[in-house]
Amino acid sequence: MTALRVLAKDLKLHARDARFLATLALFSLSLVLILSVAFGPLFRDPAREASATLWAALFFAGVLGLTRALDLESESGGGEALRLTGADPFSVYAGKATANFLLMAALWVLLLPCAAVFFDVGTLEVLPEVAVVAALALIGYAAWGTLFAALARGLKARELLLSILLFPTLIPLWIGAVKLTRSLWAEGSIDAVRDWVKIMVVVDVLGIALAAWLYETIQEAEE
Amino acid sequence: MTLAARDIEKRFDRRAVLRKASLELHPGEIVFLSGPNGSGKTTFARILATTLAADAGTVTLDGRAVRSALTESRRAIGFAGHRPLLYLGLTPLENLEFFGKLAGVSDARARASRLLAGFGLEEFSGIPMEHFSRGMLQRVALSRALLPQPRVLILDEPYAGLDEQGADTLNTLLSEARSRGTAALLISHTRERIVPGIARSYALRNGVIEASA
Repeated sequence: MTALRVLAKDLKLHARDARFLATLALFSLSLVLILSVAFGPLFRDPAREASATLWAALFFAGVLGLTRALDLESESGGGEALRLTGADPFSVYAGKATANFLLMAALWVLLLPCAAVFFDVGTLEVLPEVAVVAALALIGYAAWGTLFAALARGLKARELLLSILLFPTLIPLWIGAVKLTRSLWAEGSIDAVRDWVKIMVVVDVLGIALAAWLYETIQEAEE
Repeated sequence: MTLAARDIEKRFDRRAVLRKASLELHPGEIVFLSGPNGSGKTTFARILATTLAADAGTVTLDGRAVRSALTESRRAIGFAGHRPLLYLGLTPLENLEFFGKLAGVSDARARASRLLAGFGLEEFSGIPMEHFSRGMLQRVALSRALLPQPRVLILDEPYAGLDEQGADTLNTLLSEARSRGTAALLISHTRERIVPGIARSYALRNGVIEASA
């Protein structure tokens, strides 16, 4: 129940912050639009360019989402009060990570049709597989992002630290998501790049396992 | 429950803020701690409330170190400090219900409604708090600390921002808590408006707690 309550609280806070949601949507849509213009009008490998654009936009916009989630916890001490309830730290983490995942998933739903239209790629037939790839990438993003956000909380240079920690860690997820999405859009299957699924699962599991081990320590290290 | 702090030391960078500060809070008593600005009152309060770790010394609850049983300790201690410790994007009722349920209070919503009504915030209970005044936030913050009916209350400058009616409500609630056996530590730089019936008074000077008149 703790995780569900934290999830509901985070989603409510995001949903009420129209300015943040508009910034997030406009930033990511602009990225997709600018890159589609930069790659076009004659695309050499539209599936590759579209998937790279989609995932670059998602990963960069995701940092905005994580930073906002960090600010919500620290601006009036809500995160400190959350600790003082004595709630199970991993349940708190699970709720926050799920909220971050859902925010990124909503962004993916917004950006996917734009990328598909701008680059003229993809069919509805492979949509379920593309969604599974997105889930694999976004679970890892949320798992690691929530953990690193907790680590950066309370620091003056938290946005910088978050980016420095997050992007190198997530490179395997980004490459995997790009390769698998490209393969689905171009060839309709992932046969040639199937190993990336295993790599992405490993990164996801590692992120969650590390959080289960370290989240309480990180939370208690805040002063 | 008896909360005891013994020989607490805390440094920030090279500056020693607390030097062997000790204090005991017994069930059903209200203790007052004063001290000038920058004397370390808030640091001491945060250490008692477990949001900050001491460099040396121990804080125990009925003889058991609070840091060795954080969940139980946190559920036994209610804390309100300088910051509201609330989510400003949520309404007062949503905040209190959220924190109350996480703290294991089954009738959190009903208790929250009663507390907000007592503090005169009934008509604001469904409005997100971004534009609340300092005094309104303080009332919600105190409600959050009082809602789980903790066995120990640590209130740092609890009267800050409160008008007469708010201060009276707080004093009434503190008297009720005392009659239930709750131990309370009221921390303030001034004794004005403090609840009558203070058991003992202390002052924090140069990082040490001394008995005070």
